[in-house]
Amino acid sequence: MAQIFPEWVNKVPGRIALSGGILVIFVIAGIWYYGSPEYTDVGYQPVQPVPYSHKLHAGDLGIDCRYCHTGVEVSAVAMVPPTQTCMNCHTLIKTDSPKLAPVRESWEKGTPVRWVRIHKVPDYAYFDHSAHLRVGVGCESCHGNIAAMEEVELAKPLSMGWCLDCHRNPDAHLRPLDEVTAMGWTPPANQAERAAAIKAQFNIKPPVTCSGCHR
Amino acid sequence: MNNKTQDADASAMKTGKDYWLSLRDKADTPEYRALVEREFPEGTVELASSMNRRTFLTLMGASMALAGLTSCRRPEEEIVPYVSKPEEITLGNALQYATSMPLGTENYSLLVQAREGRPVKIMGNALDAHTGTASNVWANASILGLYDPDRSQMALANGAESSVQAFVGAWTPLFAKYAANSGAGLALLVQPFASPTLQRQLEAFRTAFPAAIVATWDAVSDANQFAGHGSAFGRPLRAVYDFTEADIVLALDADPFGTEYAAFENARGFAERRRVEKPDDSMNRLYVVEPSLTQTAALADHRLRLAAGRIPSFTASLLHAMAARGLAVPASLLAAAPADKSIDTAWIDAVAEDLLAHRGRGLVIAGRGQDAFMHALVAVINSLLGNNGSTVRYTAQPFANESDPASLSALTAAMNASKVETLIVLGGNPVFDAPADLDFRGALTNVGTTVHVGLHRDETALACGWHVPLRHYLEAWGDISSLHGQLGVIQPLIEPLYADGISDAEMLALLAGGTLQKGFDLVKATWQQLTPGLTDRAWRGILHDGLLPREIVFEAPAPSIDAVAAVLKPALFTAPALSADNMEVTFRLSPAVHDGRFANNGWLQEFPDPVTKLTWDNAALMSRSTANALGLNDGDLVRLNCAGRETPMPVWVMPGQAEFCVTVTLGYGRKNGGRVGTGAGFNAYRLRTSKALFHATQLTVGPAFSTVPMACVQDHHGLDLEKMAREGVQERLPQLYREATLEEYQKDPEFAKERVEMPVLRSMWKDHEYKEGHQWGMSIDLNACIGCGACTIACQSENNIPVVGKKMVLNGREMHWIRIDRYFSGEDDNPGVRIMPVGCQQCEMAPCEQVCPVAATSHDEEGLNVMTYNRCIGTRYCSNNCPYKVRRFNFYNYTKDMPETVQMAQNPEVTVRFRGVMEKCTYCTQRITIGKIAAKRDGRALKDGDITPACEQTCPTGAIVFGDINDPESRVAKEKQRDRDYALLGELNLRPRTTFLARLRNPNPKLEAK
Repeated sequence: MAQIFPEWVNKVPGRIALSGGILVIFVIAGIWYYGSPEYTDVGYQPVQPVPYSHKLHAGDLGIDCRYCHTGVEVSAVAMVPPTQTCMNCHTLIKTDSPKLAPVRESWEKGTPVRWVRIHKVPDYAYFDHSAHLRVGVGCESCHGNIAAMEEVELAKPLSMGWCLDCHRNPDAHLRPLDEVTAMGWTPPANQAERAAAIKAQFNIKPPVTCSGCHR
Repeated sequence: MNNKTQDADASAMKTGKDYWLSLRDKADTPEYRALVEREFPEGTVELASSMNRRTFLTLMGASMALAGLTSCRRPEEEIVPYVSKPEEITLGNALQYATSMPLGTENYSLLVQAREGRPVKIMGNALDAHTGTASNVWANASILGLYDPDRSQMALANGAESSVQAFVGAWTPLFAKYAANSGAGLALLVQPFASPTLQRQLEAFRTAFPAAIVATWDAVSDANQFAGHGSAFGRPLRAVYDFTEADIVLALDADPFGTEYAAFENARGFAERRRVEKPDDSMNRLYVVEPSLTQTAALADHRLRLAAGRIPSFTASLLHAMAARGLAVPASLLAAAPADKSIDTAWIDAVAEDLLAHRGRGLVIAGRGQDAFMHALVAVINSLLGNNGSTVRYTAQPFANESDPASLSALTAAMNASKVETLIVLGGNPVFDAPADLDFRGALTNVGTTVHVGLHRDETALACGWHVPLRHYLEAWGDISSLHGQLGVIQPLIEPLYADGISDAEMLALLAGGTLQKGFDLVKATWQQLTPGLTDRAWRGILHDGLLPREIVFEAPAPSIDAVAAVLKPALFTAPALSADNMEVTFRLSPAVHDGRFANNGWLQEFPDPVTKLTWDNAALMSRSTANALGLNDGDLVRLNCAGRETPMPVWVMPGQAEFCVTVTLGYGRKNGGRVGTGAGFNAYRLRTSKALFHATQLTVGPAFSTVPMACVQDHHGLDLEKMAREGVQERLPQLYREATLEEYQKDPEFAKERVEMPVLRSMWKDHEYKEGHQWGMSIDLNACIGCGACTIACQSENNIPVVGKKMVLNGREMHWIRIDRYFSGEDDNPGVRIMPVGCQQCEMAPCEQVCPVAATSHDEEGLNVMTYNRCIGTRYCSNNCPYKVRRFNFYNYTKDMPETVQMAQNPEVTVRFRGVMEKCTYCTQRITIGKIAAKRDGRALKDGDITPACEQTCPTGAIVFGDINDPESRVAKEKQRDRDYALLGELNLRPRTTFLARLRNPNPKLEAK
């Protein structure tokens, strides 16, 4: 009697087991990787066209965040400052620093400085800076202690789960309005009471349903 | 059967109501059943390419494996800030500027929203007391016209690319020549306008070249009215109607709420008199006599089907009927206008009595398609009835240069006689839309130098030696003057998209003065003349407001009866009998593409005609019996032959069409209409002659020689038309669209709630728990809705809704979030039209949410049924389970090949959806969020009216009201308290947040009894 199955069929179970094993490994590796902060790129610190130091400007010199990021209290977008803002000072200070060459070039030629984006939410998520700043959520809550960063890096994952953690329980992040731009802020001992007062003052009920952020 | 249901049945029977969607629905053919029974019609799940499912999966598997290896890191993205930021721009915040849109002599005051320097949304200017925030389909869609990638970007000289500068160089010697010979041999063809600056330039042109020919032409205009009023009043005045004062309105072949002049102001006044809030409120009554169903007829209480050529006979008969009832009509008039006994005398008598009973509170309107003598006669009738000065007044629009078809005929004659050496066509497309008998294209060959200035390289541009690109109104300076005398500024919202171009004011100034001047300087100079002592501050104020409110006093002169009697002749009142060998053709303006000027606008091509519901096409509309007599059916391509002139046209059987009357829509069939407009529909201008611009007889219709698929959207997304429900459709449609006569309403104000037997409503689901805060809701007044469709386009603009194309529409895949349902009721031949805008009803117990496997559609804290695109995996279960059929699915990535300029029209506040994602009305959730954040930012509480969705904002009659139903003082909460309020399919216990106010009709008891 002729054989029903050709000889290569002998190898099939082994191959199935092998590819199944590889698949399982891929799935585990995938979850491991995509679920980790590695994927959300916490610590992402690209090289910027200008070696601008937030530590120097915001930290040592104590310039308020809002001097440059003018949109932060009035608009969804905080705004990376126009070259003009840099030149407000740097026409007088460090006028020939080589580090500032790209800024001067931008100003003279009218070509923008092309910064690399660090903080990013997906296009279908609509984050509004003013909505947060105006009710006492500090810059630091999402951006980390910028004043201590020589070069800015991504400090928080900015993932949906991370957003929701705070939207569900914002208490730890609510500050008096005059302290929203303070860096290295530590909550006072009576933070719970203060947060309750701020919540009452601004009628804070952070949305936790889709339409809060997605349009 | 329960008592209430019996009542509902009885009332449906008593009024003889018989509701149906379309003739196809009524005939209930197997094809039709197949169409409506499938949620997503035939072919919608197959891929467009020849790739089958198996090869697709193979390829997908491979590409996924590859994709897994790459793209581990997110792509690097740049932030590119300004070098020097304009002071007024705050990134992320929209700016609004006031401007105006010219459209012939009709103008719209607008507020345009700009994002980072690019206009994205058109709204009405609330400072304009006559229109408020309302605007119409054309104004809403003009934003897409700005970004039209096919707009002319560079001048052409004999087909070769050139520039405006080169044209200036070419014009300079010509200017010198014509300045010397006072313009002999020079001709200028302009479009009508109402603009102080353009008028000033045109006067300057006339002064510089007194011997030059100046003609004004627009394919559709009110020239007949001006001529008629010219004989009645000695001056070409325009009639201005005050519908708020009119109890009885008689529209004679007129469409005052549709495509005619000042339609949305008219509609606003009319709806004011239909806002019946309590049983003892009064309501107006509308009679319509016309050959073809118009949008106005959709609101009519009584409609008489009559060929356009017989409308004069009707009017004469009405005059005789009124004379017989005691109206003092001069005998000369009666003799000149003999009655026609063959027209429904009961109807005429009833109208005559009604008009006589409401002297001074009635209004008779003749449509722009009626001949001049009819306008004269109607002016006399209004005057005899004492309506003059109360419901109708007259005026000459300030700074208006009106269309004059005779001037085009004279110009063409001069061209043919080789009396024109240089012709400048400023705007317009006469090669396409001039009357066929003038043969404008042929006449052009007799002219040495021809110059076309226009937005597109259209038919006329290609037939002329020179073509100079015209600036869009959103990128040029100009001004307008309204009918009311209000002046408005057209200010540019954006730097011109294309470097080469010239505005109409600049062009006229160049022609008249020989030098190129800046549009701004021209406008400013005009305004300094208009408002002496105009300070800089005042000028800035005007620019901020966009307008300078001024009111001219409308006149109510007495028409000269002798003069009118002199133009009337009994022969004018005899129309030949119509038959298959001698049919009548009527031409009408397209509610979508206008006279063809908007043919390259995808939103407008896909905009369903409010009455026929056809998209992407025009058709020869004819009644069922006419089509039967000719052996024709929907989509049959036939040759229309009108006195020897021929054009192909598909047939569309349309209820309400007068027998042996064919109506065709102008503006389609463009040859050089751009990527969207070319090839859509058929050219009806080929039949149109200068003697008969609006209606003609001697039409014959040839046999069908081919068929054209017609993209009619009424049968798509049909509400509740699945098999089971259809069996009771006669019972159900009156439940969906609830209406009553005023009398029935007075007897039973709660009628709307009683049309359906409400079962004991107990939910299977746990109620949503809302603690506090806003709860959004909407109310739509079916009595005020005129079915214009402005909401559909405003929504499309606001919410980045894609255009899908005719093929997709044929597959039932149009994406409009607001579907305007049109039902017919009553007889096949002369049905009533019922119109109902349906978007997502935002159900409290939303059936879509219950079936979504991934919770992509869910409820939010404020009661909205929200759709989260990034979660959607495209199962379409939600759409299957939606009883309102308001969900739309992206079968393809419709935005993939969107030209870059068109992308600029997208609203950055709304996600652009990808293939495989479901979408639907969100109540403009982006506006809600932005409104709430803005209130929070300013530390104030939201008040009623702070947040308006795009549909409410644009609605000309205020039929749509949106707001917080938790606030008992809000307008929407009050609307919902009214007795006419009902929920669509309320018996399903879905508790929709959109509710409707039932429609009321006010029929004449004498005609109703018949």
